[in-house]
Amino acid sequence: MILFFLTSGLFLGWSLGANDASNVFGSAVGSKMITFRRAAIIASLFVILGAVIQGAGASGTLGKLGSVNAIGGSFTVALAAAITVYMMTRLSLPVSTTQAIVGAIIGWNLFTGNRTDASTLTKIVTTWISGPVLGAIFAILLYMLIRRIKRKSGIHLIIFESYIKTGLIIVGAFGAYSLGANNIANVMGVFVPAFSLDDLDLGIFSLSSAQQLFLLGGLAIAAGILTYSKKVMETVGTGIISLSSEAALVVVLAQALVLFIFSSSSLSDLLVKAGLPRIPLVPVSSSQVIVGSVIGIGLYKGAGNINFRILGEIATGWISTPVIAGVLSFFSLFFVKNIFNIDIGTKVVETGLAETVSKPWNVSEVMKYVILAVIAAGIITVVYFYLLERKKKSEFRRSEQRFWKYIK
Amino acid sequence: MSIFNRNSKRTIVKIDEFIDNIDLGILVFREGIKSYIKGDMEAFSTHLGKVDQLEAIADRLQREIENEMITYSILPQHREDVVKLIEELDEIMDGIKSSMYEFDIEIPQIPSSLGEIMINLNESSANAAEELLPAVRAYFRAPHTVREKLLKVYYFESETDKIAYRIKRKIFHEMHEIDLARKAHLRYIIHHLEKISDLAQTGADLLSAMAVKLII
Repeated sequence: MILFFLTSGLFLGWSLGANDASNVFGSAVGSKMITFRRAAIIASLFVILGAVIQGAGASGTLGKLGSVNAIGGSFTVALAAAITVYMMTRLSLPVSTTQAIVGAIIGWNLFTGNRTDASTLTKIVTTWISGPVLGAIFAILLYMLIRRIKRKSGIHLIIFESYIKTGLIIVGAFGAYSLGANNIANVMGVFVPAFSLDDLDLGIFSLSSAQQLFLLGGLAIAAGILTYSKKVMETVGTGIISLSSEAALVVVLAQALVLFIFSSSSLSDLLVKAGLPRIPLVPVSSSQVIVGSVIGIGLYKGAGNINFRILGEIATGWISTPVIAGVLSFFSLFFVKNIFNIDIGTKVVETGLAETVSKPWNVSEVMKYVILAVIAAGIITVVYFYLLERKKKSEFRRSEQRFWKYIK
Repeated sequence: MSIFNRNSKRTIVKIDEFIDNIDLGILVFREGIKSYIKGDMEAFSTHLGKVDQLEAIADRLQREIENEMITYSILPQHREDVVKLIEELDEIMDGIKSSMYEFDIEIPQIPSSLGEIMINLNESSANAAEELLPAVRAYFRAPHTVREKLLKVYYFESETDKIAYRIKRKIFHEMHEIDLARKAHLRYIIHHLEKISDLAQTGADLLSAMAVKLII
């Protein structure tokens, strides 16, 4: 039964692996610098390592936002996030698992009557913006450095490219580690408060309850990478590499650094010791950091033609994704609780004691929820068709642009 | 990782060898045509044989470089451009060989009054091709210097055109003592000598675009 409840999280992990691994190894695979098989094995291994070793930090912050304290609630919250991600991916809209899970947790808070910690929410939302910005800054600095080294050293282009090839593998491994460390919170974070497993002693080291969950989540991400990321890597990868090989390396490194910074508790402690403010340990969207890094390089090169539509779509995603996930989570929780009679969590009272949300089965109240559900379903359907229409229009516009380009 | 570097280094050696080969071919072409115009047919035959060998080596190297670049995924982003550039350089070598063979087969009779200016034409055309090679080498190590190096290619190409125009004009306007068939033959031979600089210019255009791609 426990495994059944975990399936929604595992599905989320699988889709994360299938989509986000391309941000890490897409450039290397897309340009045929490394075979997909080798990239998938390296990425899977390092994602699992990152998740188990360093996954606790970002997961803790999500726990502060909403401590989902029943397994049924964790299942529903993760499922709502997964459906949101799936739906938006189908509509080709930029979506982040992070934003979906945050919205779904807030949905749980609203349903169970728990207070959403404003400071934690502010911290999380701030990183959605600061992540891509930091990615852009890192990308500019690293790009400047690498260009300078290339120019000053007078290194042969072929040797330089062979170093880049090696660099892409190393940086890809680091990126996979950071992805696991940072994004495991999206996959398994909501299950941590609801689960309590015995420590697993493996002789040399032992795995805590959370780490065992992270290992499972890591394996789900790895399964996503191994089974479904090939096509994404080959298509997205060629898009990234079209910059230049050194820019591709810089973009992956910048993204890995940002994800690492937002998930490293030791780095955060180090800054506190140095009298600097603590880094919030928050899951950030790797795809959005990649976009930030690419824009950073574009700005450095003096490109004036930044596609503000993409930026606009990302910013829209910051609002629409959590809202959709939140609404979906709220109503899913209602059905799971009232139709399937599954415990979805408790309201944490001020004294720290938990009070189960188990109101009597009231028909008028059920009707109220049904009406609300119908309204919500209606809104979601309208939004869905609106986005579908928008997608069709944008596809039509793109094909027309391509046509005129060929004609010219 | 050392395997990557070993393959890369081998390809670099082959590219350098290929460029050296073209360099040598241009040198032999310059001397070969000069000896033909001066009437030293023995030296011309020796140079012709040498060009033949160099062209065969260039072809082999070209194939090997292309194969290695694809097999070991060397320069995946710039591979197409580099392969195209090597093809353009090989075209120069082919042009040299075919020009010298034209001289050998058709034995054009060059009037003594045109001897000096024909040597100048040949020198200028060979210079254009020769100046392309440092720019090709620079592409791999210092791409930001490529464009300034290419200026000389464009200069010599334009000089070649001017010299060729002067010779053709002289043949058709001033040299009434030679018949039209011979005039047409001379024009054809001039065109062959001129072609080397045109091929160098085509290579320069490609290289210039390639360098821009690397710089931006």
